[in-house]
Amino acid sequence: MIPRSVVATGLGAIGPWGADIASLSAALATGRPLAVPIDDGVAALVPDVDLSPWLPAASARRLGRPSRWAVAAARIALDHAGVTSFEGRRVAVVLATSFGAVHFTEKLVHQILVEGPESAQPFYFSECVANAASAQVALALAATGANVTVTQREAGPLVALARGTAEVAEGRADLALVGAADEMSPLLHGVLERFRAIARESPRPFDARRSGALAGEGGSIVVLEPEADAVARQAGWRVRIAGTAGAFDPSASESDWGRGDEPLARGVVRALARAGRSMDGVDRIVSGASGSLRGDRLEARVLSRARGGARAPAVFVPKAVTGEYGGGFLAAAFLAATGAPFGKVPAVSEIEPGLDVLVHDGAPLPAPRAVLASALAAGGAGAWAVLEHA
Amino acid sequence: MPGADPKGTLDPPIVVTGLGAVTAFGWGVAPLWEGLRRGAPAIGPIARFDGTKHRTHLSAEVPLRDAPAAQRRASWADRFAVAASREAMGQAGLRGPVPEAGVYFGSSTGGMLESEAFYVSLLAGGARRARPSLLVAQQLNGPGDAVARDAGATGPVETVSSACSSGSMAIGAALRALRRGDVDVAIAGGSDSLCQLTYAGFNALRAVDERPCRPFRKDRLGLSIGEGAGALVLESLAHARARGARPIAILAGEAATCDAHHMTAPHPEGRGAAEAIERALEDGGVLRDEIDFVNAHGTGTPLNDLAEARAMRHIFGSRAAELPVTSTKALIGHLLGSAGAVEAVATVLSLARREVHPMPALGDADEEIGLRLVLGAPLRLPRAAAALSTNLAFGGANAALVFRAAEAA
Repeated sequence: MIPRSVVATGLGAIGPWGADIASLSAALATGRPLAVPIDDGVAALVPDVDLSPWLPAASARRLGRPSRWAVAAARIALDHAGVTSFEGRRVAVVLATSFGAVHFTEKLVHQILVEGPESAQPFYFSECVANAASAQVALALAATGANVTVTQREAGPLVALARGTAEVAEGRADLALVGAADEMSPLLHGVLERFRAIARESPRPFDARRSGALAGEGGSIVVLEPEADAVARQAGWRVRIAGTAGAFDPSASESDWGRGDEPLARGVVRALARAGRSMDGVDRIVSGASGSLRGDRLEARVLSRARGGARAPAVFVPKAVTGEYGGGFLAAAFLAATGAPFGKVPAVSEIEPGLDVLVHDGAPLPAPRAVLASALAAGGAGAWAVLEHA
Repeated sequence: MPGADPKGTLDPPIVVTGLGAVTAFGWGVAPLWEGLRRGAPAIGPIARFDGTKHRTHLSAEVPLRDAPAAQRRASWADRFAVAASREAMGQAGLRGPVPEAGVYFGSSTGGMLESEAFYVSLLAGGARRARPSLLVAQQLNGPGDAVARDAGATGPVETVSSACSSGSMAIGAALRALRRGDVDVAIAGGSDSLCQLTYAGFNALRAVDERPCRPFRKDRLGLSIGEGAGALVLESLAHARARGARPIAILAGEAATCDAHHMTAPHPEGRGAAEAIERALEDGGVLRDEIDFVNAHGTGTPLNDLAEARAMRHIFGSRAAELPVTSTKALIGHLLGSAGAVEAVATVLSLARREVHPMPALGDADEEIGLRLVLGAPLRLPRAAAALSTNLAFGGANAALVFRAAEAA
């Protein structure tokens, strides 16, 4: 079959900003990190938000935090999309996670290794599997299409977006719930610090003084459906997923970024080509740059190489606000496609010499024709999506 | 069946040109096939970690002493994955870097075994003295990334972590990518190593048998946990022919569904599993009557096997009583995120060699199952045109793969 054009018609996002999109937009407009204390440092953690409108307390108690956020975000996204019933539609769920339900995993490992294997609680086990959140979304919503969990670190949300888009475009699903969910814990935060992945102060993507990322958490979901269906039912919020692509840099180590900007740039060009565009047709880049030393440098080089001689679009760096992990980046990319204002990130003031990247200065911008979302993962994977406000 | 296409002309054929495996039978496809044919389980006392405090004490472990040299910091899951992929690439005639390749791999725990060692060091010495090097390869994306790095692949890399369906879903993702033309060659599979988390976790669910598992038999009490990796090289028939590679089988179709019924129990009627099978057949343009055998998920848990049998009876009707069914897990245990990959390898081998491997003839028949199980000795197939491989996972995530014999290419 000829692939169908696919649009997002709803967005739900739970994160350090709370549980509503307006708060996320407001935070992105300030450019300031949503950081709160965790152990000796800071992280962008989900506050104690009331999820009961979307997830009854009795149900929430049976779920890990990523599952709670994913189920609530899915219901918020469906509300936003105006989808009140699946009416026999086949619904796929594709979620990304980097670490899964960290708290439960830590508790289970502690039970097994310290208290003894017989102490292991089955509840922790079933909720600490990587696909717990996607399965809980399917259970909560009776979604019987493909149920897929993608684990590709920082590139995971865009890999999931590509997979979910394909499910709808190729007719295997009538609707897809796609997104990401992750949580942070003091132990995981400490481990990331040991790997020097965490910023010593405010995250400064692309800045010469950057020292790492702001760790984050949360859950974000978009509703995908065929554009023809969305138009027919007059869905009010539509963002077209015009093209996606992935690539890999084999020069990367297991836990860091490599130097292979050339193969990754080919991935960017492929995503643009599938959208029928070149870099000249893109007005914003929503970059996955987080403040990582090697990751940001590679990201700048990839984007520069992919751009060739084209003008440099403004680059948004939402992870400086939402933190790394948890789906804030994905939600920000969709908001950027609708023309939502992004502020200057105050901590970014001195771009690393030699990096050919135009980090957004906060000045008002005209409505974008298209947005390129770009994410490079530690370990070598890269993924891109071209989004258009339809 | 609406939409069926017996000639398989719906899409350009995607063929399997290489196979690789690491299992409790050893490092390679040859020891796997030899062990499967022999039909004696490679399931024995657990040695990977102190099993004395666990409720059960058996596992199907890869013989680590035979491991090829590898990077110092690689997890066992990564090493299994790389070894299986190298073997598959070698059979496919892919020497040296394969930059045009995409990698689609499944894993349910990645380097959890090594993470547990980190946690032990953390408990012993505190956060500042814990050994983070143990976590370098902890990530779930570790096996797939390791394969891509080793192969010099620059195409897309996608890691699927959908529990016990991860490997077959990853192979399904590769099929889609090849059909779309995203990649010319795909390395697809899965890898997982034993770890205490899954071992104790399944025991906590009372899902592990104290004896070697007995899929579909009346006295089955649970699964046996194994480890290992499986890998397939996939490419379009045209691509294979252009470079002189010999197709071993055709990957005709795939499908994934969700029960949306229960986190740890399958739908009792196997509703989601049946739908996955039906859709995979439709996707591959394969008629139900063309399926000559089934490599079932067949974990040995009471609920899974009954639900799966009901799904097969729903799809194949009266023919289900005659259709040969085997479970590779009876011999090498449940490989979790790599189960679907190794079972795909076994399915392709059976198709190519016209022979279905047996399960041990243990226990009594379960009348509720109603399937023709291959027990005790390999079954020679009068016809080996097409085969089905199924996986049913935690969270109700089902996946099915349909293969055709290479002669149809």
